[in-house]
Amino acid sequence: MIKKLFDWLKQPLGLIAVGIVFLAVFSAAAYGIYLTQQSPEQPVPEFPHQTHVAFGIQCLYCHPGASKGPAAGLPSQSKCWACHNQIQKTVDSTKLAPLKEAVINGEPLEWVPVAIVPDFVQFNHRAHVAAGRNCEECHGDMSQVAIAENPQVMNMGWCLNCHIEAAGDDQEKLIKLSDCGTCHY
Amino acid sequence: MDMKISEIKMSTEEVGKWGMVIDQDLCTGCQACVAACAMENNLSFVGEEDAGYGRSMHWIRIERFWEGEYPEVKMTPNQPMMCQQCGSAPCEPVCPAFATVHSNAESLNLQVYNRCVGTRYCANNCPYQVRSFNWRDYERPEPLPNQLNPDVTVRRRGVMEKCTFCIQRIHKAQDKAKSEGREVMDGEFTTACAQACPASAITFGRTDQPESLVSHLMHQGHGVKHLEDLGTLPNVTYFKGG
Repeated sequence: MIKKLFDWLKQPLGLIAVGIVFLAVFSAAAYGIYLTQQSPEQPVPEFPHQTHVAFGIQCLYCHPGASKGPAAGLPSQSKCWACHNQIQKTVDSTKLAPLKEAVINGEPLEWVPVAIVPDFVQFNHRAHVAAGRNCEECHGDMSQVAIAENPQVMNMGWCLNCHIEAAGDDQEKLIKLSDCGTCHY
Repeated sequence: MDMKISEIKMSTEEVGKWGMVIDQDLCTGCQACVAACAMENNLSFVGEEDAGYGRSMHWIRIERFWEGEYPEVKMTPNQPMMCQQCGSAPCEPVCPAFATVHSNAESLNLQVYNRCVGTRYCANNCPYQVRSFNWRDYERPEPLPNQLNPDVTVRRRGVMEKCTFCIQRIHKAQDKAKSEGREVMDGEFTTACAQACPASAITFGRTDQPESLVSHLMHQGHGVKHLEDLGTLPNVTYFKGG
């Protein structure tokens, strides 16, 4: 039975079938990986970071937690509304309808975080901002993208490379920055 | 590594960084520390059946012993037991995955959950029997997930865990002190068990700073470190009958 199948697969038609199956599996896998690299859908469709940055709004205006504590935070609708209630486009644009609804109904905008780390990683924004790291060094240039994208894979090797570089010749700092317990607990 | 065994064993001079002093005369055995620890560190509740198998998960427990033969039994003082954060820990060298490593920065024994593969060698080699293993993904019915501490990892099945001396609080205090441009002060923060103890039987602090409260208590003279003769260099000092 199995020998028969192999014989059939060895003839030209069989080889073509194998090729088609291989291509289908490969493209499905490639599409799956492509999907994981896409920015998630946000409650306000196609939220344009580049427009906000172009108006000269600082990162810390909407994400003030970054300089104060572990989480940078995602803005609530009242923060959006402070500016948006003075803008005609808020009334005209259909894309901004979810914001209007959120303000009227008093329901939160459920932003989907893009730059995330697993639960077993304890990341603190404040320490990184205080060490002089700029937002774009990890999060990329927000004046070029609409919904935030991760410019790199945020894995441990990437973290450690920067930590070791930051420590330089300072042995005490290197011990602290390469200690497992600094991020994992 | 050309290190001889005798050289490794004789590292008795090491000074820890964080330490604890437990006064057994003050401890009433009320279990407040056990509850506080479970809340602070996202411990699972294993339920009746698994507890029957000895799979209870506690990072701190109150031990009681009995002295003497039956009619004349005498109970010893309550003895809170948690990870002693050994300076030369028996759990560390046996881990094949390097998941339980010594923190050089904080002088603590770390348990790196994402590295742990669940061989349980460390728990078997721990003379204090203070490590607990996640035999299952224990259910947390609603609304219990709302009380999880966001600063502590929620462990999954197949991972070993143990007392961390509330390392998340250490980091929080260090971060706050650094943002204010100063050093962490003695007594500025404490572990969950010490905070909850109504009798103040548990004191936590820096043992390498001679002016700290924990250092003063440690050097009062009649303190005992458990199983010190094993060369584990524990960082918890016990007092009783003082």
